[in-house]
Amino acid sequence: MDTARLKENFAQVFMHGDEVALFFYSDLFLRHPELREMFPVAMSAQRDRLVQAIGKIVSGVGDLDQLTPYLRELGRDHRKFGTLPAHYQPLRASLLATLAYFSGEGWTPELAADWEEAYGQVSQIMLEAAAADEMVNPPFWDATVISHEMRTLDTAVIRVAPRQRLTYLPGQSVAIESELRPRIWRFYSIANPPREDATLDFHVRMIDGGELSMALTRRLTVGARLRLGPPVGTLTLDTASGRDVLLVAGSTGLAPLKAIAMQTAELADAPDVHLFVGARRAEGLYDLPDLEKLGALAPRLTVTPSVSDDPGYRGERGSLPDVVTRSGSWAGRDAYLAGPTPMVEGMAAQLAAQGVPPQQIHVEDFGWSEP
Amino acid sequence: MTAFPVADGRLTPDAIRSYAFPSSRFGRRGLDEGHVWEFCRLAEREIVRLLNERTSLADEVQRLRRRVLAGPAAGSGVRPDDGHAEAVAILSRAQQAADRYVADAQEYCRQLTDDARRLGDEILAEARSRAAVVLDEAHAEAGLAAGTGPGTPAAQDGSEPGELEAQLAYLRTFSDVYRTHLHAYLDRLLRNVEEWDRAEKETLTVVHADMSAPPDVPPLPPLPRIPQ
Repeated sequence: MDTARLKENFAQVFMHGDEVALFFYSDLFLRHPELREMFPVAMSAQRDRLVQAIGKIVSGVGDLDQLTPYLRELGRDHRKFGTLPAHYQPLRASLLATLAYFSGEGWTPELAADWEEAYGQVSQIMLEAAAADEMVNPPFWDATVISHEMRTLDTAVIRVAPRQRLTYLPGQSVAIESELRPRIWRFYSIANPPREDATLDFHVRMIDGGELSMALTRRLTVGARLRLGPPVGTLTLDTASGRDVLLVAGSTGLAPLKAIAMQTAELADAPDVHLFVGARRAEGLYDLPDLEKLGALAPRLTVTPSVSDDPGYRGERGSLPDVVTRSGSWAGRDAYLAGPTPMVEGMAAQLAAQGVPPQQIHVEDFGWSEP
Repeated sequence: MTAFPVADGRLTPDAIRSYAFPSSRFGRRGLDEGHVWEFCRLAEREIVRLLNERTSLADEVQRLRRRVLAGPAAGSGVRPDDGHAEAVAILSRAQQAADRYVADAQEYCRQLTDDARRLGDEILAEARSRAAVVLDEAHAEAGLAAGTGPGTPAAQDGSEPGELEAQLAYLRTFSDVYRTHLHAYLDRLLRNVEEWDRAEKETLTVVHADMSAPPDVPPLPPLPRIPQ
């Protein structure tokens, strides 16, 4: 396989932008109409993801070892969409047809062979990972909503009972699909460490116009069915470090950090944990009563709520990074940050300035920002 | 010229096999020589024609093979894949239209919730400042009624009967003024809410016409809690 030739062809083809992925899916659905129902009605986000994934794969195609963990994850993760080994062949045919179409005169039997070989290697790794996962896990976990509380105008706390126990680490997330919005999956962090009854809590903040979040906050009722994907994410407690812990949570970034705070309380040799939780206004501190209870039960846990945009608030006021920074020096701690991107970035920068080494700053970027 | 048994002017294998050459004229043995030569010329012409046809067919095969290898986008004229490419284009445009409709609906939904959120914030802020004003006014009027002046509610322990009466007068006036203001304010708030309700129903009827699911609209914010 000539990887340079393949990369050059990729760059040339994907110059055509969205048209390429559009052609790919139209070609696929024309040849295999039965595959259409595996995808959501609106496809633009799907097309972006496809192009990103192909780009990532092509840029790493010369170094398969480095690419393998990503591909294995991709293969495992695709099980929740109902992807089967038999689907890989139609995808290959449509990918090659798309590349040939956009390469025009430049399409040669050699290029076709390069792509065939690359596709073969990639799909084999994905298929193997999916097959290995099939021995251990279901493709997705069916779950029933057992409580749904609107804590503020736009934040809901949901508890679900999966039919089959889902094994995960505190701080991890799962993708959620609701029968109210078929084929639309969004990641949400689990807000509790594993419980004996296997139930899971989620904190869902309604994003204006958000396809799934609006349904999960405003329309979901007790008894509704959800599908949960496999647990993902690396924002998990380093239990071996022996250092004390700083948790900084903006908005529903609280979910993973609450799970971690509860996990530390259960440790035999519990570290000192300081949890900062911020919102724009006092009513945005949607989980305070629960956190206060938690603080009372865990002697080594301190909870500091703060608000950024409410002059009448009597507690800590200011942006989270400012409140955390002026509350002490955190250089000796492991820091875990979750919430809106600007907050997480600002906080990480201030901690670095305080001398917290980068490997002690753990970040989960939720990828959205406050409206 | 001798009439040979040909189909559309062309010599066929069947004609060669079954052709009966006439005998030579009386007194000579064998076949009619002229007739045989003529038949051979006919056969030669047919073979030349076949060879030419084969050559041009080979050219055509070469040409088509090159075109297929060059991919469906190259060249011009009729291509076997034309129908499929056209179908792909039509489906692509339909998908783009669907994407646009969904994006529009989302944007509309976003605006609607954004407006509702802002309106809710405004109502809440106004209610808060209103409550503060009403409270101040009630204190002032009650103070006057009790003869103690504004800002000195009945905080101290009332041991004298005169003081008790003053406190009572203060509280009575305070609650009267407070209640009147609250009534007026809640009335106005209710009218606002009804107006909002009506406007929203009208919009939803329009939206229902081309959407199966109406956009979610958050409920009204809770009424402000007025300090006791």
